[in-house]
Amino acid sequence: MAILISFDIDGTLEVGDPPGVLTMELVRKTQEAGILVGSCSDRPLSSQRAIWEQHGIAYDFAVSKHQLPDVKERFEAEIYYHIGDREDLDRQYALAAGFEFFWPDEALSEPWLK
Amino acid sequence: MVKQGVVPDELSKPFWDAANEGRLEMQNCSACDRLQNPPAETCSQCKSADNLEWKVLSGKGKIYNYGVVYDCPVRLLQEDQPFNLAVITLDEDSGIQMYSHLPGTPVDEVPVGASVEVIFEKSANGQMIPEWQVVS
Amino acid sequence: MTTENAPASMYRATEGLGVWEHKGKVAAVGIGHSPTVRRWDGKPENSVGANSILALRKAIEDAGVDPADIDGLVLDPVTTTGAHWPPGQEIPMDVVNHWNPTDDPLDGIAKLSAEWILNNMPELTNVKFTMYGQGCMSHAIVVAAQAVGEGRTHTCLVLKSWHNLEGRYNQSGISAQDEVPGSFALAPGRTLWGAPGSYGTALQFAEYCRKYGKSHDMMAPFMANSRRNGLLFPEGYWAQHRPEQLEPEDYLNARWIAKPANLFDNDIPIMVSGAYLFTTSERAKDMKQKPVYILNHASSRGTQRSVLPTLDEVEAETAETGRKIYEGAGITASDLSFENMYDGFALFHQFHIEGLRYRGMQNGDALDFYQKDISIEGPDPILPSGGNIGSGRSRFWMHTDCIQQIQGRAGARALTGVKPEIGVSGGPMPMGGNFTVWSATPD
Repeated sequence: MAILISFDIDGTLEVGDPPGVLTMELVRKTQEAGILVGSCSDRPLSSQRAIWEQHGIAYDFAVSKHQLPDVKERFEAEIYYHIGDREDLDRQYALAAGFEFFWPDEALSEPWLK
Repeated sequence: MVKQGVVPDELSKPFWDAANEGRLEMQNCSACDRLQNPPAETCSQCKSADNLEWKVLSGKGKIYNYGVVYDCPVRLLQEDQPFNLAVITLDEDSGIQMYSHLPGTPVDEVPVGASVEVIFEKSANGQMIPEWQVVS
Repeated sequence: MTTENAPASMYRATEGLGVWEHKGKVAAVGIGHSPTVRRWDGKPENSVGANSILALRKAIEDAGVDPADIDGLVLDPVTTTGAHWPPGQEIPMDVVNHWNPTDDPLDGIAKLSAEWILNNMPELTNVKFTMYGQGCMSHAIVVAAQAVGEGRTHTCLVLKSWHNLEGRYNQSGISAQDEVPGSFALAPGRTLWGAPGSYGTALQFAEYCRKYGKSHDMMAPFMANSRRNGLLFPEGYWAQHRPEQLEPEDYLNARWIAKPANLFDNDIPIMVSGAYLFTTSERAKDMKQKPVYILNHASSRGTQRSVLPTLDEVEAETAETGRKIYEGAGITASDLSFENMYDGFALFHQFHIEGLRYRGMQNGDALDFYQKDISIEGPDPILPSGGNIGSGRSRFWMHTDCIQQIQGRAGARALTGVKPEIGVSGGPMPMGGNFTVWSATPD
């Protein structure tokens, strides 16, 4: 079953400002499991790409917060997740785009593998 | 959309009382024959408080300009974003502006220049708030 | 010592005043900044008070003066426009008492008084004159310049500080409440209808685009230029913490805040303090740094008729501001080497520079101008400081850059396409602001 996971950066990933609880290793492991991964952040797109490249992760997408519908259109998956730390900018945008949503600490247990 | 409740204060009470009764009223300086909004302690032109009165208006205006709010600081309105936020000018005086969410107008499909008329909507504490709808 | 707000008489807010009577007689001779951070970490040594002391001491050291020679202090006592101390939140008394406090426990934490500064800078033994230029650094600068010119103070520190707290700007306090007072609900700015801070500017920009046939996309080169210049500003936030360029693609794909203002059209709130030392031109001749003379200061005090300024009102006001700037300095637009007008919302910078008639532009020309070479290497530099967009919300990068450019201390940001001899900086808003003309020579 194709799965796609979108990660917010600041407050969600360890490389964010403020740093979040999810490690780049978790993201790498997620990708190695055949899951489509990318970022959805207020960071400039070029900065998001640079972060992925710096950590050797071949991201599938890097978009702005409002662009989750574009991600859904570009990638066919059976389930789409977004992980973020903000009610307004992460959860609301995710649900409006038809994504399932996890808070960062919920994502620590990698519920998408279950 | 339900706005924050309004607690009228001395300066603005006539405006809000009129709204509760379905009337649009605005401060007017009878000496200058000049409306003003927002209300103030004195006339913004002659600087006198002696001739300020409250005047009933027609409730007709035009859409002067608008933006679309995607990231609203007001907690009670955040679940409604994105929403239109327009500036209406009054037919009695095109220099007088009021805000409006333009109920009934699709988001970002605002006809700048269109005629609007006032309606009144209930806020979170029951105070009626003037709003504006496009006249078909 | 009781510190008052500067009286209206300190500001040059009308046309027809002629050349400033103190033209060229006041000079900037020292600059100091604290490091920038995004938010306060709660530690006393990183408070807004601590940052202020650091910036002031750096300015003193930069000028090479004995602190005992300093007899004046002008500052803005307000240290935020949107990160207010939440009502009812406990004040950390360990932080308060780490310093020599005033009667207000938030002094040095979420606001700043001259008294607090003097309580905590024992080296300032001779400060007899203190005054508030309330609003931002632009206000404090003109007050200090006027005060030195009038002889109220001879060697004067000028300070602006910012604090920033957890949470988002303007989302605490009245925005979070279920009810608001009736007059607030009708006031300009943030109101019952939920306008974000950039809403008013966004609407003026929308009107501008409709009137002149322009588009938001045309802002992209200006934004990239501002961030580029900001990354060359080592004192600034982006250079210090997130050295990311802002490419046109980044800007054009950003989410809207109040369309047509997007995320990057809004500056990022930070904590930082900036300070300058002003003195008389006579004294400045023999000091450590090359003096930068103040030819004039001018103030905009125009108000809108109703809840939001219209484009007509903005254009009339900025044109008048431009005339006041030049009248008092005894110069014309063609004398300007560069401009550093305010950009806290990126979408009003063009109103400021059109009002200046910078490089001969008229109303409606600025966005086309942005498509040309506006770099620091070119003949028509726009905002060489990078402003708030380039370095974070301080409202003083523009002033620092003017001084540094003229002194030859702008480093990698140095203008090479023009010789920086006369620059102008100021703001914040197109309606309501204070502006300063800086020069390499006193006349």
